[in-house]
Amino acid sequence: MFSRDWVYENFRAYYRSPRYEFPSPQSFSQREYAFLLFKERAMVRHKSFHSSAALVSSLRERIPSDVYHSCAYYENPDADMDKKGWSGADLVFDIDADHIPTSCNKLHDEWKCGNPACLVAGGMSGRGITPEECPACGGVKFETKTWACEECIDTTRTETRKLLDMLTNDFGFSEHEIHTYFSGHRGYHIHVENNSVRSLDTMARKEIVDYVCGIGLDMFDKKRRDSAKQKRKTSTPVFALGDYGWKRRLKNGMRTYILNSAKEGLIELGVSKKGADVLFKNKQAIVNRCIEEGRWDTVKGVGFETWMRIAEHVKDQEIAQIDTVVTSDIHRLIRANGTLHGKTGLLKAEFPVKDLDTFDPFVGAVAFKEGTAHVLVSDAPEFKLSGETFGPYKNQRVELPTAAAVLLILKGRAEVQN
Amino acid sequence: MLQETVKFTPTDLAKYPFLKDTAAYMKRLGLEIEELTSPELAQILTRAQERLEQALLFVYTGQKAAGDIEIPSFPVAIMLAIATKTSFIKKRYALAEAKQAYLEFQGETAERLMAIARDFDWNIALNTESGIPLDYFSVSLADYLRNITHLRDEKWKLINRLLVRGRVFLKQQDVARLLQEDVQRRIDIRLDAKEAPEFPGPITAIADKLVEMAKEKIGEQEMEGFPKVVSQSAFPPCIAVLYDAATHGKHMGHVERFTFTSFLLTIGMPPEKVAETFKTSSDYNARLTRYQVEHIAGSKGSGTKYTPPSCSTLQTHGVCTNSDELCRRVHHPLNYYLRKQKLQPSVQTNA
Repeated sequence: MFSRDWVYENFRAYYRSPRYEFPSPQSFSQREYAFLLFKERAMVRHKSFHSSAALVSSLRERIPSDVYHSCAYYENPDADMDKKGWSGADLVFDIDADHIPTSCNKLHDEWKCGNPACLVAGGMSGRGITPEECPACGGVKFETKTWACEECIDTTRTETRKLLDMLTNDFGFSEHEIHTYFSGHRGYHIHVENNSVRSLDTMARKEIVDYVCGIGLDMFDKKRRDSAKQKRKTSTPVFALGDYGWKRRLKNGMRTYILNSAKEGLIELGVSKKGADVLFKNKQAIVNRCIEEGRWDTVKGVGFETWMRIAEHVKDQEIAQIDTVVTSDIHRLIRANGTLHGKTGLLKAEFPVKDLDTFDPFVGAVAFKEGTAHVLVSDAPEFKLSGETFGPYKNQRVELPTAAAVLLILKGRAEVQN
Repeated sequence: MLQETVKFTPTDLAKYPFLKDTAAYMKRLGLEIEELTSPELAQILTRAQERLEQALLFVYTGQKAAGDIEIPSFPVAIMLAIATKTSFIKKRYALAEAKQAYLEFQGETAERLMAIARDFDWNIALNTESGIPLDYFSVSLADYLRNITHLRDEKWKLINRLLVRGRVFLKQQDVARLLQEDVQRRIDIRLDAKEAPEFPGPITAIADKLVEMAKEKIGEQEMEGFPKVVSQSAFPPCIAVLYDAATHGKHMGHVERFTFTSFLLTIGMPPEKVAETFKTSSDYNARLTRYQVEHIAGSKGSGTKYTPPSCSTLQTHGVCTNSDELCRRVHHPLNYYLRKQKLQPSVQTNA
């Protein structure tokens, strides 16, 4: 436990520094706060504070590994759940590489079955996203080793960009109502603080989730399709494309997809060889005729199946992969901005919406900026922190800046040396 | 934006007696409950009774009377509905009034329809966006979402709507339909009187008559809850999958566990039995499982009894699987269960 003690000391020094300031969320005193205690690893919930200073002094005393606050506003934030008096909640989104398949999680994420009686001696193990149950024994406890690399962040950044497009263009939230944060681990949090969404209930938020995730999207123009059916042209889909919302997304997406398509890509989608050939050779003409003018049944060799495959593919590209449970939960606890993440030692850090593409979390969210430590690294891929590149390491003793050492220790990949 | 003020006339109030202005009108009239049974005001009481009878029989509120009878007959009908102390009657009445209003809304001028919507605190305007039909209205996202909660057709899903910078664009008929929801809610709230006053004898007599009528109309079975025996063969596909997962000790996520547990509890399985189904789970912890199950049952923790999520919620969280023909006709797993059970009353096993 020596390494964890050393990390604890660093967390303590961070929160006890006279320079430490807690960036208060809106309606600070109406929120519930919760701490995951470093040593006891227990959650302390239902706390409320009247001032940011009171919260900071509690942080300095308790030194939690993780700090959360409710996305909800309560009349009595420190009462039991049913006596809190819910009076509204921010609309929050969580985009996390844990749930999104990326080409890099196969490289740096590992899991091992934690069932002592696993059919594979020592526990079955694998790489990539942790399965819901062990393929060998059906166990559900796993030891995981995850990592946050630039590719993970790029993937979540792309999802965040799509979400922000919907939040501004479709939902009409202004930039000062949308707060964007690096989560402190491997993703982004988006909080919307807006009076009209505050009071939305779970059902209403679920509609927003469905909107963002493309669930229940009806891609067809029903009226025109029915009349096409009467004319026995049943094989033609009549997509409803337009200039706004999902209709715009589908239209732009299909246009871009076809104009940039390669034959192999189309065949990979499941389009027939002949269909792919026709599409590839007549890109512009097909875009004009079908997508711009809506004459869907006028291209020989490109029928219902082909259009459906393209449309479904485009839809899947346009959705933003958010954690559906977080957004629809109106009592959710969410990591507090400006506090340390217990799995990385990085901060949850806010940045302006417009800086999504330029904000580098591995620089901007680094908390420990001074000192170094000698560590024995068992295994770590190459990584960047504060603009410096480290690793890869394999059973090596190295001297690292504090932030890098904390990260490796919390990730279970290094031990501090005396 | 300067909004043209539409003044509601007594004709409007006769059509839409749920508007806020009715209260002022009634105040000027100065009616007392006791007076209602007097011969002079008998017409109001009769019309109020008719409102409720028509609602029970045809989900309709009946032929309109003259304004000075029609308008007061609405609050009196509300009072009669409260006096029945029967939730079916109250619900049915609110629905009938709302449906009636919906028919009227469709023929209103744009200005008047917007004035009515504003009576419900809607943020509504005429469309000014180019590329969207000129006769469309725009309503705020919150107003839209609040009113589609009970609408099941996929055309109401937000994702299938024109949503532009926080405004949802709708044609008049759709605005009318959403307003119907708000009318129903407003009446529901008025009917949800916690403490019903002591009513004079003749009022109670009418209320009793209405309760009799409701029983005849819908039969006793609607008032009953779920059948006593748990019928596993009537489980909807999603629950069948979860049941299989639970009894084979497979991992279940939070939403899955909650859905499964609340489903079994609602259909009448005792909490101990529900907890037992998790016994083979590889991370089974008897005490914790019992606590969780009892919490969902409402006997521990907050005391709230939970029912399982609706089909659309299950779809959102990826719990909906293997949906079949019957699934297409229901919107809630409990509804599936009830219907399936009716279809196959003889096949019953103890789960």
